[in-house]
Amino acid sequence: MTASATQRRADPASPAIRVRDLSVAAAGEIVRPMSFDVHPGEPFTILGSSGSGKSLLSQAIMGNLPEGLTASGRVEIDGVDVLALPRKAREAMWGRTLSLLPQEPWHALDPTMTALPQVAETHRHVRGLAEAESASRARDDLAALGLPPEAADKLPMQLSGGMAQRVVFAAAQAGGAPIVIVDEPTKGLDASRRDDVVALLKRAVEAGGVLLTITHDIAVARQLGGYVMVMRAGELQEEGPAATVLANPRSAYARQLIAADPENWPVAARPPVAADAPEVLRAEGVAVIRGGRHLVTGFDLAVRAGEIVGVTGDSGCGKSSLGDTLLGLLKPGAGRVTRAPGLAPHRFLKLYQDPPTAFSRHWPMRVLLDDVVRLHRLDPGRIPPLMERLRLAPELLERDSRSISGGELQRFSILRALLLDPVFIFADEPSSRLDPIIQQEIVALLAEMARERRCALLLVSHDMALVDHVCDRRIAL
Amino acid sequence: MGKMIRAVVVPRALQAVMVAWTVGTLTFVLTRALPGDMAYRIAAGRYGYDNVDAAAAAAVRQELGLDQPPLLAYASWLWDLLTLNLGRDMVSNEPVWSEVTHQVGHSLVLALVAIAFAVLLGPALGVAAGLRRRGALDHASLALSTALRSVPPFILGIGLILVVAVELRWLPAAGHGGFAHAVLPGLALALGLAAVSSRVTRNAVVAVARSPFFAFARTKGLGEALAFRRHGVRNVAVPVVSYFGVQLIYLIEGVVVVESLFAWPGIGHALVHAIVARNVPMIQGTALVMGLMFVALNAVVDGICWGLDPRRRAS
Repeated sequence: MTASATQRRADPASPAIRVRDLSVAAAGEIVRPMSFDVHPGEPFTILGSSGSGKSLLSQAIMGNLPEGLTASGRVEIDGVDVLALPRKAREAMWGRTLSLLPQEPWHALDPTMTALPQVAETHRHVRGLAEAESASRARDDLAALGLPPEAADKLPMQLSGGMAQRVVFAAAQAGGAPIVIVDEPTKGLDASRRDDVVALLKRAVEAGGVLLTITHDIAVARQLGGYVMVMRAGELQEEGPAATVLANPRSAYARQLIAADPENWPVAARPPVAADAPEVLRAEGVAVIRGGRHLVTGFDLAVRAGEIVGVTGDSGCGKSSLGDTLLGLLKPGAGRVTRAPGLAPHRFLKLYQDPPTAFSRHWPMRVLLDDVVRLHRLDPGRIPPLMERLRLAPELLERDSRSISGGELQRFSILRALLLDPVFIFADEPSSRLDPIIQQEIVALLAEMARERRCALLLVSHDMALVDHVCDRRIAL
Repeated sequence: MGKMIRAVVVPRALQAVMVAWTVGTLTFVLTRALPGDMAYRIAAGRYGYDNVDAAAAAAVRQELGLDQPPLLAYASWLWDLLTLNLGRDMVSNEPVWSEVTHQVGHSLVLALVAIAFAVLLGPALGVAAGLRRRGALDHASLALSTALRSVPPFILGIGLILVVAVELRWLPAAGHGGFAHAVLPGLALALGLAAVSSRVTRNAVVAVARSPFFAFARTKGLGEALAFRRHGVRNVAVPVVSYFGVQLIYLIEGVVVVESLFAWPGIGHALVHAIVARNVPMIQGTALVMGLMFVALNAVVDGICWGLDPRRRAS
């Protein structure tokens, strides 16, 4: 941040959080020195793709950096430099002065405890209220967030993503901390749930709270308004009022990031699916059951070669299980799935959400691809042109999955699938763990490949804008 | 309650029936498959080779139904099993049922002493190691656990006898009496169990301490001890107790060897003697009781898991 910018942000009415030259370092510097002020009543958003060090910034302010990382500079909360405080004193502020709304609400809740006590314990132990009083307050909190009364006695696994998000919000707020730090609050939520979360956050700010949000989701930054800082690889790119920065980004990176928001994608040419395209897969009255839960019932679908169908829905609504059912990995609870006759089973494939888990870490890419070539007696000469087509540099073949970026790895999984001449690919959130810029590239490439090779593609995403830009039609679960 | 019976009791009861049937069938096949004239072989085992005569063989033949056609013999064998008519001990001539029910009491005492030692030693060490991950205690407990689990219980038993009983003279080397006699055989069994469960506990503690829900419990304002009590203990206990169920086979297996080593008058000791003496009804009786003991202990473990983990009750 430049000196003039700091002065512009300096506020005589003392800010709730005043950060000066805050940097985070391990062996080298991970987050470059940053300075900013967060004021009550004005949302403050740090925007950047994953790996930009923004989560470390929030942890540095909270004082719960992972082992081996150190923060330096000044972080003043209500005028006290918390970096100078001993750990115990910083922990004493958690829940009372500062609270952190974590990523992925499902994982933030104790899987073996029902919702109500997880909220009530904050009232009980942080505020020091009596047992009965805590429970009734917690019940009121959940009701105020629009949760049905029976949700209080459910386990996290029985709650939807949106419900779990609200339980986490209630639990984080129950201690009465005026400062809320929010880390990727909308990960895995679809657009309507995302809007709900943003509305909750805005309500907290309007009541005079202090809100520092960290996100890669441009829609969140836009809806919150207030002040925005754009970060990349631990470095500040641009800052200013949200309306200005998001409408007229000046830095190259901010421009790229905003253009990569699915809402802003250019409308892709969508050649109509040929009228005579054969049907490859049909589902009739399919019910999806996993772990005794009925996730989907009465599902009908017919997909033709070269057709791209989007599947949307909240995390946990059964999108992945539906894919497993269509692929025959999970037995349908009712109905049936039929494949076009005469197609080898290995031509119905799946692309996974998290590229690193789809490859063995112990072998270079060349070995992993050779295995596929050998197993299916393919022509190894097909790999180089495909790599070129997917813009993968040949030297990547000698590396293992740990030394390849997520975007490149996902392109390798597309390559591995294409080697088998697929007729049907179930792509399970193939880009949700990637940066917005990489996501745009991967999704466009995947759609292009499917159309070019007349492969049916079921593209699962929680992002409706993305699906609407790419797919021929959309199914909402 | 009805749900628990369906989820825990019914499957284990069915398993118990399967165990009884398998043990009965195997012993039946074993009796028939003995080489030579089975009646003479068994009589020789019973009375010694010098004392076998046609009358003794005939008595054995009659007792075991060796002259019946195989299918009929099998049916009557299973019927006896079903009615808990396990026959008579060929050496002592006492009813097998009354002998094994007497012996199983001793074995259960030993098993419970072993479980108690294992529960006291393993999880406590595991929690301590897990809370200071990669600390000196963590490394030491990994080395110790690996060493203890790699050594079979009878070697541990001999080691304990040599050091504690022979050298130090703190405890009796063998035999049966008060609690002092149970300590060494109990420990010989417990050390292997504790070795594994301390590592399972340690890994569960590390996983919980790193979990986002534990981090969230801390940042919403709970202190470390309170967060561990409310969100750590149960989440650690679930895998630890479940794994104990898996390890019970080590315990049952160990009972056979350790009882013989320490001359503990339990079911494992009896099984070894019965095998040496070709005492078929006792082999069947003891194997049956040990199988059922395994099922019963597993049912207890299931019940505890059911009580600990609300996810089981909910699904």
